[in-house]
Amino acid sequence: MKVWQFSEQAYHPAFDVPGSMRVTLSSRHCDPAVAHTLLNRYLDEYVLADELGYNIMVNEHHAAATCMSTSCMTTLAILARQTRQARLLALGIPIANRSNPIRVAEEIAMVDVLSGGRLEVGMVKGAAYEVFMSNRLPARFNDRFWEAHELIVEALRNTGDNFSWDSENYQYRAISLWPRPLQQPAPPIWMTSSSAFSSIEHAKYDYTCATFLSGAVARSVFDGYRKAYLEAHGRPAPDKRLAYLGVVAVAGDRKSAYERAEHMKAYFTTAARLEAQFRNPPGFNPVKANVKMMQAGPNAVRPRLRNGAPLPSDATIDQYIDAGLMFVGTPDDVFQQLGQFYSDVGGFGNLLMMGQAGTLSHEDTVDNLTLFAKQVMPRLQELSMDAPEVRYEAFA
Amino acid sequence: MSTEAAADFLQAAQLVDIQGVKLELIKKGQGTPLLFLHGMDGVEGCSRIIDLLARDFTVYAPSHPGFGASELPRAYSTIDDLAYFYLDLLEHFDLRNVTVVGFSLGGWIAAEMLVKDASRVSRLVLGAPLGLRTAERRKSQVTDLFTLDPKEVDATLQVTPTTKSPNPGALPEPVLERIARNAEAVCLFGWSPYLYNPKLHLRLHRIKAPTVLLWGEDDRLAPLEYAKSFTAKLKQAQLETLPACGHRIYVDSPDVAASRIVHFATLAKAS
Repeated sequence: MKVWQFSEQAYHPAFDVPGSMRVTLSSRHCDPAVAHTLLNRYLDEYVLADELGYNIMVNEHHAAATCMSTSCMTTLAILARQTRQARLLALGIPIANRSNPIRVAEEIAMVDVLSGGRLEVGMVKGAAYEVFMSNRLPARFNDRFWEAHELIVEALRNTGDNFSWDSENYQYRAISLWPRPLQQPAPPIWMTSSSAFSSIEHAKYDYTCATFLSGAVARSVFDGYRKAYLEAHGRPAPDKRLAYLGVVAVAGDRKSAYERAEHMKAYFTTAARLEAQFRNPPGFNPVKANVKMMQAGPNAVRPRLRNGAPLPSDATIDQYIDAGLMFVGTPDDVFQQLGQFYSDVGGFGNLLMMGQAGTLSHEDTVDNLTLFAKQVMPRLQELSMDAPEVRYEAFA
Repeated sequence: MSTEAAADFLQAAQLVDIQGVKLELIKKGQGTPLLFLHGMDGVEGCSRIIDLLARDFTVYAPSHPGFGASELPRAYSTIDDLAYFYLDLLEHFDLRNVTVVGFSLGGWIAAEMLVKDASRVSRLVLGAPLGLRTAERRKSQVTDLFTLDPKEVDATLQVTPTTKSPNPGALPEPVLERIARNAEAVCLFGWSPYLYNPKLHLRLHRIKAPTVLLWGEDDRLAPLEYAKSFTAKLKQAQLETLPACGHRIYVDSPDVAASRIVHFATLAKAS
């Protein structure tokens, strides 16, 4: 099991401002001096994570107090120099929101070269509300995503002559990456999924498929991926192609761990604060999906507890644990919970670990990361021992 | 309009093939031809005024490509595409001496048609049309529907209290599908630039057909200032405002608007 440290790098002092945490939240609530301290602190924690044996994941959002990283590649350009061993994962770049995919490819290539070939690249559709900042057309978003993806991959993998490009949304006269990526033919590619259906394409491309905070849904995502992978490649999908993102709060005793978890829970409660009109702009999802959403009502997209009930919006830490979104307790507790979840979903090879979230302090984050690295991470190797196809059959 | 009434209204729709595009078309009434171009809420939103106009005209009321049950060709992405498509429709049915009536988004389509080719059109009625610049630098003139609380949309667009169910999920699936398709099509054609064509103001003078602009005095989407700039760009247009009426003229004042259209068409014929 590879473990990847991840923080959304929140501007948590703004969590007290009433109302939405995204899109409409005025930037006057951001004190740039405080942002300076926080951003540098989060980078320090990433550097520590490298020293402790973690890999590193960063993301990006826009116009959000919940995430100050507005560019994966800017953050990773710094970490490319300041870390030594960690794989550096951008998960991800919202390519259909970018007006210039070649610029995306150039940044990928540059950071890959800087880091000595440690970059991994997630190309993501991103959250629906991001189109209000990028102003790119929500309709036909999916088509534009795959169009941009194709162009970026062609640019990264090109070892022949410069080429020109003309597709529906993108036209270029001369494409030539200087530098070109160090990893050949290109850095490993990741995508994200929250349904069995959307993981099919990722399997066909042999890309790593990650699912975020989806609890029991991870099972159907991974099953969908495995099925499609076997059909496309004639061999079972390796665990290393599957990733799950969850929040981890570990401490020497349960009480301290739950206190940490309460701070990290602020991630969930603030991420959810967004006005209705920004959640699903028309056209971002297909008509059939929108019809289903209207029919199912607001509870449709909530994660589920093990008994099938939707996770309440004011859920307790125990309910977050039950739903598979948080892993909380002593090192033994956390290992046991991760093992249970691993079995429930049929296995995965990457734990994308929110080791910092919400209002968790630097001191607590350092302790959280250190304790997990020393007492949980080594034991996770046990989880990857079985051949995946055997274990999968046993749990199916 | 109730769900049942909408379903009855749509019963009259037929699917026709125009230049390879399957189009949902309501054709009803007797008299000279009238092409009716609906607004953002689909042809079903305009059922009342279409029925009124059908007393004096042969009304051709299509669902725009992408709306209702009309096919959306993958290559369509701008109002221009719809304008050329409707010029094809006039040729397809060999309509002449046509009165073109368009409300809101449909008014924009009508204007884009006539700047290209007005040879089959004798009169134009624009009900609170869009299509001219809606914002300049930091100043917005037209309310951004995409960033409006969904609960406030109807109250922004019409004076008449909404009859829409607070729980749309309970509506029949075909109705939900139309709602979703209509919303997606508005987004495709109007997301950015927001509900306008930056070139239209350079071309509006080409419309030489006698034109009436109708505007609700309580239009909270596009204010009267916007109406005035629209009128000023047209050669032969007169602006008439309707009291106690919002952007959805066809909801707030269908009777007044219909009789105004009939009167205008009769006058133009006599002159």
